[in-house]
Amino acid sequence: MTDAVIQVEGLVKDHVSHFLRKRFRALDGLDLTVQKGEAFGLLGPNGAGKTTTQKLLLGLTRPTAGTIKVLGKPAGDKSALERIGFLPENPYFYAYLTAQEFLDFFAQLFDLNGKQKSDRIKELLELVSLTEAKDRPIRKFSKGMMQRLGVAQALINDPDLVFFDEPNSGLDPIGRRDIRQIMLLLKQKGKTIFFNSHMLPDVKDICDRVGILHRGKMIGQNRISDICKSGTYQELEDYFMNMINSAEADYRKTGSVTPYHIEREAQGGPR
Amino acid sequence: MDLGDATGRTSRVMVQENEKLGNAVGIPKEPGHDKQLSDLVHKPQVGFTRSLGTLIAIALNTFRETVRDRVLYAIVVFALVATLAGLVFGSLSVDQDVRVLEDLGLFTITIFGGIISVFVGTNLVFKEIDRKTIFLIVTKPINRWEFIAGKFLGLALCVFVTTYSMGLFLIGITSLQMGSLGHAMPILLALSFIYAEMLLVIGLATFFSTFATPLMSMVFTISLWICGHLSNSLLSLGKLSTQASVQVITQAIYYTIPDLASLTLLRSQLVDGGAVPPNLLGAIVVYIVAYCILLIAGASLIAERKEFN
Repeated sequence: MTDAVIQVEGLVKDHVSHFLRKRFRALDGLDLTVQKGEAFGLLGPNGAGKTTTQKLLLGLTRPTAGTIKVLGKPAGDKSALERIGFLPENPYFYAYLTAQEFLDFFAQLFDLNGKQKSDRIKELLELVSLTEAKDRPIRKFSKGMMQRLGVAQALINDPDLVFFDEPNSGLDPIGRRDIRQIMLLLKQKGKTIFFNSHMLPDVKDICDRVGILHRGKMIGQNRISDICKSGTYQELEDYFMNMINSAEADYRKTGSVTPYHIEREAQGGPR
Repeated sequence: MDLGDATGRTSRVMVQENEKLGNAVGIPKEPGHDKQLSDLVHKPQVGFTRSLGTLIAIALNTFRETVRDRVLYAIVVFALVATLAGLVFGSLSVDQDVRVLEDLGLFTITIFGGIISVFVGTNLVFKEIDRKTIFLIVTKPINRWEFIAGKFLGLALCVFVTTYSMGLFLIGITSLQMGSLGHAMPILLALSFIYAEMLLVIGLATFFSTFATPLMSMVFTISLWICGHLSNSLLSLGKLSTQASVQVITQAIYYTIPDLASLTLLRSQLVDGGAVPPNLLGAIVVYIVAYCILLIAGASLIAERKEFN
């Protein structure tokens, strides 16, 4: 019996340019399993395919080949989306709404009504420290406030699985700490977290396991406890750099990246 | 020694100010404070009631978006000024001042209602995709047809409010001019025909906005809007031809494009004090609703197949 929340096999995604119909392979044969209650961090250089992976898992785009199961359903299935929260990268919100109206709108999409809705919104505004700014138009929000509001909308339905795409990008240390605290709280509550990030200290603090994506291929997966034996994030940085450097050397020699770095024994649930 | 900053504020003042600002922008007062979040026990509904709730939520959000745009108010004010110009033109006519005022007023309402429908409608879906707010919507448990239909209904509500606001203004000045409310009912009926026309324009704009840029959508929508007004002429032109193929083609185009010429004809009859048979009114309502449903269904099919990269 498996407790896999995300199961991906042989996932391939080709992007086709509009004009010349030129194909570009964004993901190449991705295999991935994320267990229930696990915090999984997807790392990789810019353009590695991290956001594409999340979009495929959420049904925003369709795979060229391969299979995806999220919460036991195909990607984008409505019953699975009831239990999913998502914060996109650099989210743009409806600037004409206030924070309260914004959350109210998304609560309605999850069929939350009446007191349950207002209680949930109040609690989330408190969680992300936006209670005092709840009646202010979003256009007047700073980047950090927008990001915190984005987190609140991702949690409006009390999801079992949360996707965060670069949740800490462009935030000041206070904003980063806030988001990290919320993610740790979600982890403590047994939620499954899937997030893309470049912030290795945060990844080290939050994740149980990381995967490294490079040129559309998963070149390494391992547990944080196995990587950061002395508890510092520099070990994760070294691991990341070693993986990327050897994959790049491989690419220069053969013209492709071989996903031989995957430590198969490390694929499993949280420790 | 506390040197403070360039403006002479001491560090104590700066801390106080930052605390004040922190509270205002919502920065937590104490680092590492324990955050809490309760579990949500919720069983969402399925089926019609759920779809209705989603439609209302998206429609009201679209309505808010439109009415909070200042450009809308500029358009409405301009339309009201253009309606008032009817008083000037009416005074130049011979005993036709009310007629000129009504005709110009209804024409203004049609044109400005159309401008709102075309300009907002062609951006309706495109803007969501362009600004990536669509990512937040389609990753929620909603059907794409609910999203498209909700956007359509939101704009339809906004155009309803603006059309009837401008119409009430026209009734007001016509009544003042006449000294009675005698022309209120024909104007109200004429407004219903204008609104029906606007619904078709919104439907066309929504349809095109799912796959074309706003500029192209505007070109397509305005072209079909104009062609719709010429549909009767097109049919007559086909009948003049001796070639059967030409007649078939013109008939096919006539039945495909919205028949706005007949709507305008009936509207004129009403304003002139003529009567429209109830069964014809019923047929018009069925025609408008069916045409809009077909356009929304088409737009939904396109949205269903769309990938959001």
